[in-house]
Amino acid sequence: MAAAAEKPTKERLLSVLDDLEVLSRSQKLPQPGEDVQVLELLVQRDREFQELMEVAQQQGSVHQEMQLLEKEVEKRDSDIQQLQKQLKEAEHILATAVYQAKEKLKSIDKARKGSISSEEIIKYAHRISASNAVCAPLNWVPGDPRRPYPTDLEMRSGMLGHMANMPTNGVNGHLPGDALAAGRLPDVLTPHYPWQSSDVSVGMLPPHHGNDFGLEPPGHNKENEDDVEAMSTDSSSSSSDSD
Amino acid sequence: MAVAQQTQEKESEDCSLLPLVHDIIKCMDKDSPDVHQELAKLKAKIQEAREQISNMPGVDCSPVEQQQQLATLREQVRTKNQLLQKYKSLCMFDVPKAS
Repeated sequence: MAAAAEKPTKERLLSVLDDLEVLSRSQKLPQPGEDVQVLELLVQRDREFQELMEVAQQQGSVHQEMQLLEKEVEKRDSDIQQLQKQLKEAEHILATAVYQAKEKLKSIDKARKGSISSEEIIKYAHRISASNAVCAPLNWVPGDPRRPYPTDLEMRSGMLGHMANMPTNGVNGHLPGDALAAGRLPDVLTPHYPWQSSDVSVGMLPPHHGNDFGLEPPGHNKENEDDVEAMSTDSSSSSSDSD
Repeated sequence: MAVAQQTQEKESEDCSLLPLVHDIIKCMDKDSPDVHQELAKLKAKIQEAREQISNMPGVDCSPVEQQQQLATLREQVRTKNQLLQKYKSLCMFDVPKAS
């Protein structure tokens, strides 16, 4: 009975219908004593058939309800997928924002570690400007050999050129003809230009600090600092602080 | 409610084959020539019932299985409604427009 209840209703209905057909066919040849039994079986099967048809109709109603529920499930699935897409997009936006914020924090931290005093920057700006490296002097005319960079002659007549004339450099094996290339100019050959003041010692560039910037060791030349510090408001800063 | 019950009873009587069997037996008792006609009716009724059963929805499983499927579907709907409600009630934030 329990096994029969587990069978699909359709199968049971068709089975009962087949029994009814067989029983109705057997009426053609009724045997003595068997006709009552056949009729009883027929009635029983018919009753069973009717009950199963009622069950089938109830199952039909349940099936309709299930179809409605399935449609609802599909709609919910669609909503969930839509929400999933939106959440994915939000996650992406948030991840990008967090990444950018972290990068900015790194940049801020890096800038703080390598911070430079504005006074130092202004000092260097004055030094660069003072050597006429960014703007020609007011009295510069075409033909003036002055340049915004150290010329060949100026380099040789400067401190580096004179360092090459030190005694230790005599053993480097240079030929006499290489004296010019080595920067060892005799004094009589040292050029004197109109723009060089007589106060400037040999080997020093014009007093406009051009020699100082880039060549002097930090913190050793004070005259540039005086010029710059006159412009600077913070007299406590010095070039040695730039190290 | 009473109308529905009456309709149901009529439908159950419609699918019963006993009236037709009764008619056949009557014809056989009377030796009526309509026996073959009645037999043909019975055969047609049985065939009609078979076709009706084949087209009936929801009878491919037992009532117990169907109830289990129904319960599963209801649970699915309930769970998904809860999930949607939970996500929709999360805090909303506006996406800043790129300037």
